[in-house]
Amino acid sequence: MSSTPALELRGLTKNYGGKLTALTDVNLTIRPGEIFALLGPNGAGKTTLIGSVCGLVKKTSGKILVFGHDLDEDPVRPRYEVGLVPQEINFDPFFSVAESLYIQQGYYGQKRDEARVMEVLTALNLRNKADSLTRALSGGMKRRLLIAKALVHKPRLVFLDEPTAGVDVELRRDLWNYVRKLAAEGTTIVLTTHYLEEAEELADRVGVINEGKLLLVEEKKALLRRLGEKRLIVTFTAPLSTPLPESVLKAGATLSEDGRTVTYPEREGRAPGGDILRALYTEGLPVGDVETRHSRLEDILIDILRGKPAAAAGAA
Amino acid sequence: MNTIGMKSLLAKEVRRFMRVPGQTVLSPLISTSLYFLVFGYSLAGRVHEVEGVPYLQFIVPGLVFMGLANNAFLNSSSSLFITKIQGTVVDLLVAPLGPLELMAGFIGGAMVRGLMVGGLTWAVATLFTGFRLEHAPAALLFLLLSSYTFSVLGILAAVWAEKFEQINFFPTFVMLPLTFLGGIFYSVRELPSPWNHISLFNPMVYMVEGLRYGMLGQSGFSPLLGAGILVGVALLATGVAWAALRSGYKLKA
Ligand SMILES: Nc1ncnc2c1ncn2[C@@H]1O[C@H](COP(=O)(O)OP(=O)(O)OP(=O)(O)O)[C@@H](O)[C@H]1O
Ligand SMILES: [Mg+2]
Repeated sequence: MSSTPALELRGLTKNYGGKLTALTDVNLTIRPGEIFALLGPNGAGKTTLIGSVCGLVKKTSGKILVFGHDLDEDPVRPRYEVGLVPQEINFDPFFSVAESLYIQQGYYGQKRDEARVMEVLTALNLRNKADSLTRALSGGMKRRLLIAKALVHKPRLVFLDEPTAGVDVELRRDLWNYVRKLAAEGTTIVLTTHYLEEAEELADRVGVINEGKLLLVEEKKALLRRLGEKRLIVTFTAPLSTPLPESVLKAGATLSEDGRTVTYPEREGRAPGGDILRALYTEGLPVGDVETRHSRLEDILIDILRGKPAAAAGAA
Repeated sequence: MNTIGMKSLLAKEVRRFMRVPGQTVLSPLISTSLYFLVFGYSLAGRVHEVEGVPYLQFIVPGLVFMGLANNAFLNSSSSLFITKIQGTVVDLLVAPLGPLELMAGFIGGAMVRGLMVGGLTWAVATLFTGFRLEHAPAALLFLLLSSYTFSVLGILAAVWAEKFEQINFFPTFVMLPLTFLGGIFYSVRELPSPWNHISLFNPMVYMVEGLRYGMLGQSGFSPLLGAGILVGVALLATGVAWAALRSGYKLKA
């Protein structure tokens, strides 16, 4: 696999109307073949970032390189390699699903290729709608058509701006599998989503953006390991009347106010949860239920956005 | 140059208006026939000849021009504007289509429609007046120049407009008056002073008179001068449209 980044942003800044700064000095390198999830609240600048690369937004300053080609030098050529699923659904009511895809192939300089169109329609579960007019599709089908349109020319770099908004659960799973397959074949994927489960399922790396600033870029696994916790939660059959044993308190466990549950955040370098549990038994405490919980990307994101020091320390 | 991309856009544009033939082809035919019946016959009773040409024949080039210009303008302006409104302009901006490919696609589609309606109008007129084509190359040149220019103007209007009423601004407040003052139904040269002089600043006059020269073999104007002026207008409009599309004016955020 080539080592040229699929996308490189250097100091990317966007000012809307000279007032609102939607992106501030964003530096980001997307590796070829990775799935990168760009996360952040509404208005963070995700769509603006994608639009700047795809020719929908005029950047204020900074450099954008797509597979090493500077968009300032040639804004058109690199676009043969790029596909975009826009956040906003759009469709041309005059044309059928298949026709929309043929037109799309043409725009990308490709000859009409029926086999490819049918392949994409099948992958997106739209095959039986090939001859329907686009206006006759349901909302979720329209979004799948958008995805088909973005992929039909076999781009090497694909932007998915909230690709699964309004898509039902089963199809969302199918779509995830399809995205994984594309990535396995070498396609680079940048996706935004508000379903953090989606990022957790798919992403190799995660970037967090807020108010136009890229706060953090990290491997998803490392992020989960570094900021995520495994928590041991022990519920007693009756409220404790005595304080927790010294060793358990020292390890960092806490007792709830009603004296019924002990919570122990298990982190790297700390005693394993089993030790805590053993100590509780040894003291003869009335252990009822035992549960472990893994924190998820969702919890971590909230910490980062709230500016928790531990979270911010990882900023790239 | 993305030739296939350009051709796809052009083919899509043509198919778009062919899908609604009633609106795009039939309605202009009816309106020109009405012009013929109302203006032609009512005036022909009193005005027998203009500049030595029977009145009904005299108005044919202007009617052809009107169908041609209106439809060329309407096609590129409404197509690009609707693309903007329904959001599909994203597909065009994201695709590897530069300003030249975009212009070629939209202008090509609009010219096809303009020339089609112009040609049909001419065919209908022939039924009323008989067929006359004195200088075929000149007629062709002015047909192409006029449809081209209005196609480009349509692109400009669509790029600029943000609301539906704005897209009608140019046809209502600029095109319609200039067309009616453009010597379709009368000879500009026979107007009283100062209107005959003021009319010389109306580019439509050169289009109508150029076509009149091509079809009827005579015109009060030099066709060469007219062609020169129109090439200038076309180049200017093309330059502005190219710069607007290249910069993403009102199309990109
Ligand atoms: N065309 C525009 N003109 C002016 N301001 C804009 C425009 N587009 C976006 N903005 C502003 O820029 C900021 C970033 O918007 P953007 O659409 O990039 O956010 P986002 O991260 O994609 O949000 P969401 O999750 O809601 O899609 C917001 O404050 C938004 O109001
Ligand atoms: Mg967005």
